[in-house]
Amino acid sequence: MSGATAPFTGPVLSVEHLSVLAKQRRIIDDISLEFPPRSLTAFVGPSGCGKTTFIRTLNRMTELTPGLEVEGSVLYLGQDIYGPKINPVLVRRRIGMVFQRPTVFPMSIFENAAFGLRIIHEPDDEVDKAVTEALTRAGLWDEVKGDLDRSALSLSGGQQQRLCIARALAVRPRVLLLDEPTSALDPAATQRVEETMERLSEEIVLVLVTHNVGQAARVSDRVAFLHTGHLVELGPTVEILERPKDPRTQQFITGRFE
Amino acid sequence: MATSLSSRTRTEETLLLDQSARTRFRIGFDRWIGRLLPLLFLVAILPILDMIYYVSVKAVPTLTWTILTGQSPYADNQLGVPIIGSFELMLIATAISVALGLFGGVATAELLSPRAASAMRLAANMLVGIPSVIIGFFGLFLFVLYFGWGLSLIAGAVTLAIFMTPYIFRTADLAFNSVPRHIREAALGSGASPTQYILRIATPIALPQILTGIFLSMAIGVGETAPIVLTTTAGRIPPTGLLSQVTWVPALIWENFSQGPGSSLFIYAFQAAFLLLIIVVGLNIVVRVVAARYQKRLEGLYQ
Repeated sequence: MSGATAPFTGPVLSVEHLSVLAKQRRIIDDISLEFPPRSLTAFVGPSGCGKTTFIRTLNRMTELTPGLEVEGSVLYLGQDIYGPKINPVLVRRRIGMVFQRPTVFPMSIFENAAFGLRIIHEPDDEVDKAVTEALTRAGLWDEVKGDLDRSALSLSGGQQQRLCIARALAVRPRVLLLDEPTSALDPAATQRVEETMERLSEEIVLVLVTHNVGQAARVSDRVAFLHTGHLVELGPTVEILERPKDPRTQQFITGRFE
Repeated sequence: MATSLSSRTRTEETLLLDQSARTRFRIGFDRWIGRLLPLLFLVAILPILDMIYYVSVKAVPTLTWTILTGQSPYADNQLGVPIIGSFELMLIATAISVALGLFGGVATAELLSPRAASAMRLAANMLVGIPSVIIGFFGLFLFVLYFGWGLSLIAGAVTLAIFMTPYIFRTADLAFNSVPRHIREAALGSGASPTQYILRIATPIALPQILTGIFLSMAIGVGETAPIVLTTTAGRIPPTGLLSQVTWVPALIWENFSQGPGSSLFIYAFQAAFLLLIIVVGLNIVVRVVAARYQKRLEGLYQ
């Protein structure tokens, strides 16, 4: 399902000495890590630790915020997405992102899911197939298959968020970035999205930012703890949450940071 | 004495039953302001209502179909010719100003650097602030004299377009800026190029506001006199070409009204004014209807 095209054997996504500067201040400081295939890595940390900034560097979304400067490299299939010849638009076509609030466009459910394919001018029969597949993978198909032509704005918040996941999945990406995807959802909708994330983590690389340690515990394989822009600790979820090595990680997961 | 929460003599109950002079004054003041505001609104719209009433009373009893078709005894002052003139002026001026204003507005909102964008906005605001008679002189010197177009339809239309462009520019700029930020991020984050974002996502969302801006600038432009009076000359027949003479409705008002109440032409000023009122009010109604219809599709977008 991961849409393999190139016989690439290294890590799908890896980060090397990544820093982000805002007016000479380092809001991300020298982070290096690899994302193994078919995994879900959750980034947790107190507010302002840089986790959202970090995930936005992974598809060059940081460039949409004026004044941020990125150093280091992000390798996607071995290629630095910050390389001189790389077009950020093409990077974002391959590495999609789901945001804190559902961001459906004012068009039909079908066209929302098809957006990533429309902008690369895929033929209609391909689009039909990919949209059905993406809605199924996002766990939304059974709820919307009858009225794909309805406005996406008529869906509930949780359905809208799964539609956003479907929109990102329709291009069959190998990496999906999720920036606090459930922070605007109620518990039932959160559970549906978490189920979707768990299922997808068996197919592709998922990167999740969450302020909710419980969510990280439920869905992730690995947890990374960020603090003031530093990657303090990274390891298997159980290890980080039950036996953190660093006192700051321990303080955070036991709730002593806000 | 004012009630304060820190005052130890007051219990929770006395706070609810507070009858001090100051509290009573505040409640009364609030009530009276609430009554005063609708009154102020009436004061504000009274001149408009009075104008509509006065023009209607003068004009309506004299209105016949013949004043439009030229079969009237005053064929030279028939209204059909200036209406056609106004229509042609507006058509050309709107086409030019929509093209310039939309392009500039989109570029400013989405494509230009922040510094260039603020320069554009400053320029547009200054252009709005320039008295229309100055724009008329600009048109007179540049188009009529320097370009040698003479007092003509095209010189008037282009000058009018300069007058209308900043209004369209400003609403287009605002409309594209008011597309929710998270929608913009999501579109660009899905790999849409800036052009694709503008055409596929932002334009449908911004359209009601853009249309409002276009219609409003038309409503302002159709009644504008100074830019055209300086760049055209009145003709007795509809324009025959771009360099032809042109008569338009506000000119007719000005010309006939300045004859004075004793003149038999005086009443034509009111007929033309009535017609202009209908056009402007009509344009405003069209704006509301169109905008409301498009807005309906976007329900739920701005949560």
